[in-house]
Amino acid sequence: MRRVVAILALLWGLFNLLAAYVMVTSAFLSKTSAKEGILSQASLLIGGLAIAYFTLALLRQCVRMVRGSGLAAPPR
Amino acid sequence: MRAILAVVGIVVAAAAGYVILGQTSSGLQPWDSELSDNFVFARSIPFVLALGVAVGFLRRRGPAPERRADGAVRRFSPWTVAMHAVLTVGILLALPTGAWQYFGGILDVVAPVPLFWFYRIHYVGAAIVLFSVAAFLTAWWSTGESSLLVPRGAWRAHLRGLVDELPPAFGKRVARFLKVDMRLRPPARGRFSFYELVVSFPSWAFVLGLITLTGLVKAMRYAAPVPGPVLYVASTLHVAAMVLIGAKVLDHLRYTLARWPLMVAMATGWWKEPAAAAAPRPTSPSAPSPAPAGGD
Repeated sequence: MRRVVAILALLWGLFNLLAAYVMVTSAFLSKTSAKEGILSQASLLIGGLAIAYFTLALLRQCVRMVRGSGLAAPPR
Repeated sequence: MRAILAVVGIVVAAAAGYVILGQTSSGLQPWDSELSDNFVFARSIPFVLALGVAVGFLRRRGPAPERRADGAVRRFSPWTVAMHAVLTVGILLALPTGAWQYFGGILDVVAPVPLFWFYRIHYVGAAIVLFSVAAFLTAWWSTGESSLLVPRGAWRAHLRGLVDELPPAFGKRVARFLKVDMRLRPPARGRFSFYELVVSFPSWAFVLGLITLTGLVKAMRYAAPVPGPVLYVASTLHVAAMVLIGAKVLDHLRYTLARWPLMVAMATGWWKEPAAAAAPRPTSPSAPSPAPAGGD
């Protein structure tokens, strides 16, 4: 059961990684700067990096669980 | 009395749903699918919120702590388990469809299915989130539940407890940044960890509150005039809240997957301390077991 949940979370993480990629790359598109402006570009960049950071942390946890480890101490 | 109120709320919501959908499917409205969905959603909101309030009254104050023969204790009431699942479904529907609306516009990408389907599913998810938020707030208010909050005057001590729970290097940085007095003795941990009380629950409250309020403002334009600048700010903050919820979901999954009994507890209501980890790292010499004291 843990592995199944870990794989589902892994898939969710991969979708989020794609979203983070789209956000970060969109921040540097001339189309975005023309349509949205510098504030939106900065928001996309910061938001994309934040999503990428949290996604990588989740993916690391998922990989540990799929491998059969990855349980921390009880709630702390 | 609570049950009667809940039944009345459910009956009124069902009647409202019947009338609203009847008007929409009558064929007399001149709007296209997307605009029609906007109106259906806007008109449904008061009834969705009222239904949430009614269902919130169904939750009762937790009974005396239950313990099973195998040693498991009740951590979450069946009501909480069910409503957490409902809220999860709402977020799973609203988040990706909302993200597509935003990214599709930025990238000028056209989906293989008509755009109104994204809006339709987004509105279903948003209605579920609104219903859940109303239900949780009503339930906590009506039962006087406050275990998810840091007690008044205890923030400094809880921050001290949080520093102990973080990885040492990161904890040191947090302590320095927040000027946490490391000579303080952290309080004994209760049902929830310091991370949950200090970081996770307040940030959930903030992002869900932000997405709810901004979403309501955006939907209100179909019922009353909303000034352009207000709509612009609400839309911007709605997208910001979407990104924050995306990050929150990821962090929530990371945290709970690493603590599998938490996942089991939220799925079944029962917490069973893992045998291999029966002696958790204490936050203080007198810290109790992290096993919950009772249901909520």
